[in-house]
Order: sequence, then C-alpha cells, then structure tokens
Amino acid sequence: MSRPQSAPTRHFDADTIRRGAIACLPLLPSTMIFGAVLGVLATQRGLSLGELLFMSLTVFAGSAQFVSVDLWRETIPAATIIVATAVINLRYVLIGASLRPVFRGRPLWVKICGMHMVADENWAVTMTQENLANPGFLLGGGIFLGIVWATGNTIGYLLGGGIPDPNVYALDFAFTAVFAALTVGMWKGRVDLLPWLAAAIGSLIGHYTLPGTWSILAGAGAGVIVAALTWREDMDDTAPETEIAADAYGAPEGTYSTEAGK
Amino acid sequence: MMSFPDLTTFSTASVLTILGMAAVTYGMRLGGLLMADRLPQQGRWAHVLERLPGAVLISVWVPSALSAGPIGIAGAAATVITMIVVRNLFAAMVAGMVLVAAGRYFLG
Repeated sequence: MSRPQSAPTRHFDADTIRRGAIACLPLLPSTMIFGAVLGVLATQRGLSLGELLFMSLTVFAGSAQFVSVDLWRETIPAATIIVATAVINLRYVLIGASLRPVFRGRPLWVKICGMHMVADENWAVTMTQENLANPGFLLGGGIFLGIVWATGNTIGYLLGGGIPDPNVYALDFAFTAVFAALTVGMWKGRVDLLPWLAAAIGSLIGHYTLPGTWSILAGAGAGVIVAALTWREDMDDTAPETEIAADAYGAPEGTYSTEAGK
Repeated sequence: MMSFPDLTTFSTASVLTILGMAAVTYGMRLGGLLMADRLPQQGRWAHVLERLPGAVLISVWVPSALSAGPIGIAGAAATVITMIVVRNLFAAMVAGMVLVAAGRYFLG
C-alpha cells in the first residue's frame, strides 16, 4: 500500500468506459429479452413502469428483481422482499471483494461511484481483462447493461405479453454460456485447479441440498477454503495481482488517457 | 385487471421497499470491496482473493449447466472448448447457444 503512487490521472475516462460497454455487447440479446420478461411480470403484479425502472436502476440485480417482483402484491410484503433480495445478492460481497485489483490505489469516491453498476456480467467481463486496474471499464459495461435492461423492461411492460419465450432460442442458456466462457479467461495456472474443482463440487452439492442461490456461496466457500489450504509461501512472488498493479502505474494506460480525453 | 398502462404511479410503500432493496444490494457490493481492501496485499489472503472470481463464476454456471441436463452439459462443453480455441466471447456464446437451441428443437 505504501508504494510511491503516481496515481493515474483519470479514474473514469471516456475511452475506457466505451471499451467496457463494447465488451458487454454479446450480452445485449439475452439481457434485453429477460428485461422484457420482467416487464411483463411487473404488469401482472401491479408495479407501475416508473417503479420498475426505478428498481432496475437502483437495485440493478436481475435474479433478485425477478424474485422481488414475483412477490409483489397490493400490500407489499416489504420485509420479505428485502430479506430475499439480501440473500440472493449475498454473492455481491464476494464479487465486491474480488474487485480489489480494479480499484487498487483509487480514492474512496471512485469506489463509491464505481461499485453501484456492478452486475455479474460486467464484473465477469472486467475480471478477464489483461489490465485489471480500470474502474471505467467496469462502469462502462454497467451503464451499457443498465440501459439495455431498462429498455427491455419498458418494451415488455408496454407490450404486456407476446414476448418470445427465451427458452426456445436458448437465451436462458446465454448466461450459463457467458460465465462458462469467461471462466476460461480467468485461468491463471495450475494453482487454480483444486480451488475450481472444489467450487464446482461445492456448488453442485449446494444446488441439490440448499434453496435458491445459496449454491453460489457454497461453491465459492469451498473454493476459498481449498485456496487457503493449498497456499504456499513460494507462491507470493508470482502473484499476478502485484504485476497488474505495477502495470497500472507504469504508464501505458495513463499516457493514453491523458491524451485521449481532450 | 388493473388499468393499463400504469406509467408514473409511485406509491410510498413501493419506493421505500425499492430503496431498501437497493440499500442492501449496494451495501454488499461496496462492503465487499472495502473489506477486501483491509486484507493483506501479500500472502495467503491475497492468494485466496485471487482465486475468488473463478470460484464465484464456476459456482454460478456449473449447477445451471448440469441441471439443464445432457444438452446443457454439451452446450457448456462447446462454449468452453470454443473459448479455448478462438478466445472470442461472442463466438463461444453462439457455439453453446446454437447447440442448446438445436438440441431442444430436435430432441426436446
């Protein structure tokens, strides 16, 4: 932490935000159609379009929103909905923790602004970048997905039905596919093998024994425990996190951004 | 049936519920990051933190691929193999999704 820091001049430069948005482009069809499905559901549960959009942009978490809107009634079961949201979104504690290299050395306000538009998808896309230390890249993906999500909500709400069944076009599989593909990009070598196996086994056991999204926590927990147990002192020197941090302050990105955003 | 379309009604109860949902979600996003900032930058915890994204990601998709049956497993395998070979996210997604869509059409 106490290294001499010539902090990058820009925290969210326009070019990086644009690149982050473009990187999330493959997610457009599935995000749009599931946004529309949520919009249709909202018409049946009595939310106004304004309320739905307000939720989509303040909560910004697909699976929790589906469960919450499904629970919505004339008299809103607020406590149930908020607890369900907290449980489903518990994984964001882990996702937030894993974003440390992205926000390394940045001031608190950048973390406060950058951590809102974090969905599973733009998080995963960001974590497979070669240079992690770009909060703008994460934000760009988040803004893009937020716009697509809200647009889908609006279309679904106004049509009130007649949305094609996502399952027919395997759009429900799009999320499985994007996460499976991005896992490949996270492979850092054999140190990952045992923690990943543990995560797969843990999440499967969790899937068949625990309700809802607890399987994610079961898998991640198993992976973390195995990673902690398999750590050895000599692994430290090659920690990719340190290399990435050195890159971030070693100029390329910073030089580009000072010239680009004029 | 309710009156439709209902564009701009904002009931107090709805707004408060949504703000509650937003507060817990954002609190966990930022809280996770700030907690990780307090962990050491070297050693066992740094190593664990680096394995975390992969572990979370695998836990998200492996159960849903397996519970989608043989077609889901084949689709996930096609996605991973395509990604390893061509290193392109869009191509990998298309490979998996086409396989699953075709599988459901012809077998499902």
